[in-house]
Amino acid sequence: MSKPHQDKPILRLDHVNFSYYSNLGEVKVLNDINFTVEKGAFAALVGPSGCGKSTILSLIAGLLKPVSGFITYYSDDFNAPRVGYMLQHDHLLEWRSVYQNITLGLEIQKKKNKENLELVDELLDKYHLSNVRKQKPSALSGGMRQRIALIRTLALRPDLLLLDEPFSALDYQTRLNVSKDVHDIIKSEQKTAILVTHDISEAISMADVIFVLTKPPCTIKDVLPIEFEANGVPREDMRKSSLFQEYFDQIWREMQDENTEK
Amino acid sequence: MKIQKNNHETNDIIKSDAAALTIGQKNFLRRQKLQKLYIFWSRILLFAAFVMLWQVSADLGWIDSFYFSSPITISKLFWHDVQDMSLLSHIGITLLESGVSFLLIILFSLLTATFFWFYPSLGKMFEPFLIVLNSLPKSALAPLIIVWLGTGPRTIILCGISVGIFGCILNLYQSFEQTDPERLKLIETLGGTKLQAFTKVVFPGNIPTFISLSKVNIGLALVGVIIGEFLAGRKGLGYLIIYGSQVFKLDMVILSIVILCVIAMGIYGLLNLLEKKISY
Repeated sequence: MSKPHQDKPILRLDHVNFSYYSNLGEVKVLNDINFTVEKGAFAALVGPSGCGKSTILSLIAGLLKPVSGFITYYSDDFNAPRVGYMLQHDHLLEWRSVYQNITLGLEIQKKKNKENLELVDELLDKYHLSNVRKQKPSALSGGMRQRIALIRTLALRPDLLLLDEPFSALDYQTRLNVSKDVHDIIKSEQKTAILVTHDISEAISMADVIFVLTKPPCTIKDVLPIEFEANGVPREDMRKSSLFQEYFDQIWREMQDENTEK
Repeated sequence: MKIQKNNHETNDIIKSDAAALTIGQKNFLRRQKLQKLYIFWSRILLFAAFVMLWQVSADLGWIDSFYFSSPITISKLFWHDVQDMSLLSHIGITLLESGVSFLLIILFSLLTATFFWFYPSLGKMFEPFLIVLNSLPKSALAPLIIVWLGTGPRTIILCGISVGIFGCILNLYQSFEQTDPERLKLIETLGGTKLQAFTKVVFPGNIPTFISLSKVNIGLALVGVIIGEFLAGRKGLGYLIIYGSQVFKLDMVILSIVILCVIAMGIYGLLNLLEKKISY
């Protein structure tokens, strides 16, 4: 299902450094981060907890500014690519209906026009959520809420989606289902995505390319292309394949090395 | 391991179809209903017993009805005073003053807390002063207010405001401050401004707090207004209570207290209704 990469970058990070400042001094979080994400790719950032993965997303989204280095966005026209951000929790607002939650972003950006609302209807239909549009989010299951959060992000027609451990609050079973749903939705909408996770199998099952990160100060240790289809493994069966295990072991080893060093 | 794509989550929504009630469910519902009825009628009975005991005690001379009055005397007095319109105007004045105090408390607290949320360093600056003022027994301010503003409704309304306002500002501001930072981040990721974060997340998210604060403060406004009327009123239930006690018309005092009970009950009921309507 994954499209062949068009080898057209959408985002590049060059020598990005970032530090937090606290009473105890400067905490260097990111140390010389370099990577490129191609258009249409599904990239995953995998690393130990607290290694600054989310910081990278905040930098890309422009919520934080790097201490030094460059973040470059590529676009076909002269507009900067629109970045959509999906947080760890769905943060659906309980006083709004599902539909009102989905249109929150459009409302904020004053883009509640006919065209965009049609897109919302289309997305709701396509992902079988039309029947709950008038309900309050409290009536829905965690998996459904997370899909609604995704549609809220997609309604803004982002070119680049940032997923910050969006499944970590879900139970295991739901997580498998929803991560597959989200993957399929993103692929069928032909979006570029960057997923941050500490769950290695989640990254392997969703991504086309995995960036393995080290402990803080965080650098990129390895770039690992994930190629199931090219190796004759259909996506549905990947979790059973030996290739999946190989990828898992390799990333596991790299993260272990990291833990035993020092 | 096969991951099935389905919409299994859609089935998780609890469907409350009344059509298919099992016997167990019916029994459960009946027991629940009986329990509710039992509590309701017990309350009525308790109240009736109290009123009757009061009346009987007064009639049989167990208590001195000069000091303690009696339900029938109070009812007669109520009817008499209602007919010559004097009582209604006293009730009206107290209600009006409390209402105005309450609205001013809410309005001013909302504005101040909002302002503090937008400028947190201002909030931090004022916080300790508000805490001190909030801990102060506000009735101590009343004589001062009388000297400043003289007697009359202005003083009484200011007394009504003074009791609740500092706590209301503090609570509302602290509750605004405690908005989940991740939700604010959500607005930021959707490209929203700080104003939008306030109107879309902070304010609507704090409506339950706002309502419970209203519940507390309408009571406090009433307290403040009664204190004000004690000291500076020419009209109102607080004035009736003080006046009645000074001329030993204790029937009037107790009648006023009973009316205050009814007012408090009415306000409580009204706010509960509002709370139910808004809750999500």
